[in-house]
Amino acid sequence: MTAAASDLRAGAVARLRLSPPEWPLVAPLGLIFVGFFLAPLALLVWTSMHADAEMTRLGPESWMRFLGDPFYLKVAADTLLLGLKTVALTLVLGVAIGLIFLEASPAQRTALLFIIILPLLLSVVVRTFAWIVILGSEGVVSNAALALGLTSAPFSLLQTELGLIISLAQIELPLMLLPLLSVMGRIDPNLLDASRALGASRWRTLWRVILPLSAPGLTAGCLLVFASSTAAFISQSVIGGGRLIYMPLVIWQQSIVVYNWPFAAVVSLCLLISVLGVIGVIHWLGRRVRA
Amino acid sequence: MTRHLFNRRAVLGGAAAATGVALSGLPARASGDVIAAIYPGSWEEAFRSIVGPALTEASGVNLELDPLYAVDQIAKARAARGLAPFDVFVLDPGPAASGMEMGLYQPLDMSKLSNAAKLPQVFVDDFSIPVAAQVVGIAYNPTKVAKPAGWADLFKPEFASRLGLTGFQTTFGTTSLIEISKIFGGSETDVAPAMEKIKEILPQVAAVAQPSAMAGLFQQGQIDLMYTNTQTVATLKGRGVDIEFAVPETGAIAFVTTMHIVKDAENVENAYKYLDTVISAGVQDKLMQAPFNFIPVNGDVDLLDTLPMASLDEMNGFVRHDWTKINPLRPGWIEQFNREVAA
Amino acid sequence: MRRIHAPADALYAAVVGLLGLIALAILVGPVLVVLAVSFTSEPSLRFPPQGFSLRWYAALIDPAQSGHIHEAALNSVTVALRAAGVATLVSGAAALWLRTRSGPAGRAVDLAFMSPLVLPMLSFGLAALILLTTIRVRPTLFWLSAGHLVVVAPYVLRTTAASLSQLGQPLLDSSASLGASRLYTFRRITLPIIAPGLAAGAFLAFMASMDNVPVSLFLSSARTDMLPIRLWGMIESSLDVRVAAASGVLVVSTTLLLLAMNRLVNLSRRISR
Repeated sequence: MTAAASDLRAGAVARLRLSPPEWPLVAPLGLIFVGFFLAPLALLVWTSMHADAEMTRLGPESWMRFLGDPFYLKVAADTLLLGLKTVALTLVLGVAIGLIFLEASPAQRTALLFIIILPLLLSVVVRTFAWIVILGSEGVVSNAALALGLTSAPFSLLQTELGLIISLAQIELPLMLLPLLSVMGRIDPNLLDASRALGASRWRTLWRVILPLSAPGLTAGCLLVFASSTAAFISQSVIGGGRLIYMPLVIWQQSIVVYNWPFAAVVSLCLLISVLGVIGVIHWLGRRVRA
Repeated sequence: MTRHLFNRRAVLGGAAAATGVALSGLPARASGDVIAAIYPGSWEEAFRSIVGPALTEASGVNLELDPLYAVDQIAKARAARGLAPFDVFVLDPGPAASGMEMGLYQPLDMSKLSNAAKLPQVFVDDFSIPVAAQVVGIAYNPTKVAKPAGWADLFKPEFASRLGLTGFQTTFGTTSLIEISKIFGGSETDVAPAMEKIKEILPQVAAVAQPSAMAGLFQQGQIDLMYTNTQTVATLKGRGVDIEFAVPETGAIAFVTTMHIVKDAENVENAYKYLDTVISAGVQDKLMQAPFNFIPVNGDVDLLDTLPMASLDEMNGFVRHDWTKINPLRPGWIEQFNREVAA
Repeated sequence: MRRIHAPADALYAAVVGLLGLIALAILVGPVLVVLAVSFTSEPSLRFPPQGFSLRWYAALIDPAQSGHIHEAALNSVTVALRAAGVATLVSGAAALWLRTRSGPAGRAVDLAFMSPLVLPMLSFGLAALILLTTIRVRPTLFWLSAGHLVVVAPYVLRTTAASLSQLGQPLLDSSASLGASRLYTFRRITLPIIAPGLAAGAFLAFMASMDNVPVSLFLSSARTDMLPIRLWGMIESSLDVRVAAASGVLVVSTTLLLLAMNRLVNLSRRISR
């Protein structure tokens, strides 16, 4: 009740403060969203309610087939887990880069930003080839590990979840870092100096000053990384291979190879709903951290 | 600093300019066009450089190509039903049978195709003409592994550890798995024995991959054996990859790639001219040469001795499949393959 | 006082440094591989490359051999510019609105706007095509751009919202109490604060559109050939090295663009001083 009341009050205050109406700000995106997204989405929901591939009769069979099958539920769980693991890796690596960015000179910052956007310049097609080179047996990683004596035999990270997560991290790191750095870049350096001067260790400064101030950027990054890595069909299927099965592969097989659109629609909607659910939780966590 | 990189004025200016350009339509179509779907990659390159100019020269028709894989063509045509996205399909047997079942083609009037008589008539029907033959067998790297004698060899330890497997989503994958199944007691409609065998060797196989990754995996030496068609082998060989084609002792698989005119096609007359050009002896001969390596279907073309057959009559000696029987079973096979190989 | 933390601080530097190095390796490694391969003198993609030559760059630039690649690249850039440009405007504006709506309704709208990022684009592409044909509309460059716009808009929304969260209400209040007009406040306070977020979002949106296969697959036609679909065909069937060279061209031109922008900004600073 109190939350709702404070929201109401905040809304009222906002309306008072800003004399011209604010809805025109959101109207364009809203209209585009309704016209180009909600309409196809509604069509998808309608498709999913058909029982057979030929879409001749309505029925819940397609939904039952997905929800009643432990195999598909595991595929769904694996997809979400893949997203979370990718978020975890990009979060740790992203924060490290962010901290280096904080202490860098303007010239170094420019160089760092350039390196961060590099992966976006490679088409997914050729990126995939590069990861085959790096992760394969006799590949760069395997040879380096051999040279360092970390392993006694060549190994391949291709077709493993670890290899997939590493390759996803490359393309997801920019999604984590661009929002993060646009927030971190504005942290007042004096705050950090003050924290040090007051005797805080660097760890404490990180936990108490830098991370809370960067929370909006971190949340935004996590959301983008999670959403994008769960849907990354090409990386998942080419680097992950045929033995790691995620929802986008099932959607592709069902809609494009065997033309069972109702079932493909069910899997799409399940992916949408479950990922939005996790995103809601990340959002909520982000707000908790800030509060 | 951040602002050095993303100068805000530049960005906002660019955004405003882009909106100003606005989202405009396309010019109206010229009358002399035909829009044909085509497989991306070497098919597209070949048709752009050989068929397009030949068609313009012969009839003044301009060829527009829409690069789409067979399954994507069917999905797109099905979604755009009544408003055909292109005029002509090019399909392998599996998707071709699906399209037939969905009623996506219009009947062909053979009298409009001057070259139709030169085609092997067993592959011509009321809705389709063949445009190229394909032969599927085993590709191997001769510098790394011995030449496999047949499908059964793939399951021996020394071969299995170098093998790249793909599932039922492609025509060559499906037919190869059917042949493997036959070796171990299965049939065209029973792939259970192949699944059993695959499950046994799964821990050893070099890769279970998507078809699109196979060429890269092979080139980088991650796999040294795969099932594929002779055209892919010839193309990769032409690009310096160590690859050879082995005909399995039970026979290589053969099928034809067909073309069909879309039911609601806009440029029907031009579509006929396009089909006639594709199957003409001159074009078929050029498509057969490196780097394209098509297997021609026009009887007037003398087959190169690098091709896996001396004449099209030999097609009957190859293994063939009935896709009207396979298609209804394939969704189940794809799902079963997922379940069996899932880590 | 600082000496107390010396060991912990050393550990901090080591951990951050090590993780940073790993991150840089992951970011840069594949780019280096592709660049190295693009200079090969061999006829196909292979690592490590044998011999050095610029033949694949020459082949990529040659209009006779690669004219259709240039056409596809131009189409892709056009669509990406339109989609990212419009997305920047409308998502930026929507982010401003969302900032004042912190209640459950605002959160729900926010989540809804994020959903195009999550819906598998393959399904979206198919559904959009069915919808267009239902209303008897043939996909054109306009509809293709619109399709891309929907799936890239969330990037701008997210990055701008993140920057906006640093904009304290007191700052706006003090600006207003000092008699500044809303437009002036927007130009002098809000815009500078959200500019990095807008720019980052616009860039992400542009690149996401450039690399989008599934939406283009269904909404493009023979006349609106798109770059990634073409590259996909080139690498899958023949490991064509021009694909790597195309990446090389992108990397080099981006570098030059960034250097030029840096120059310009520095120059304008010096002038204004």
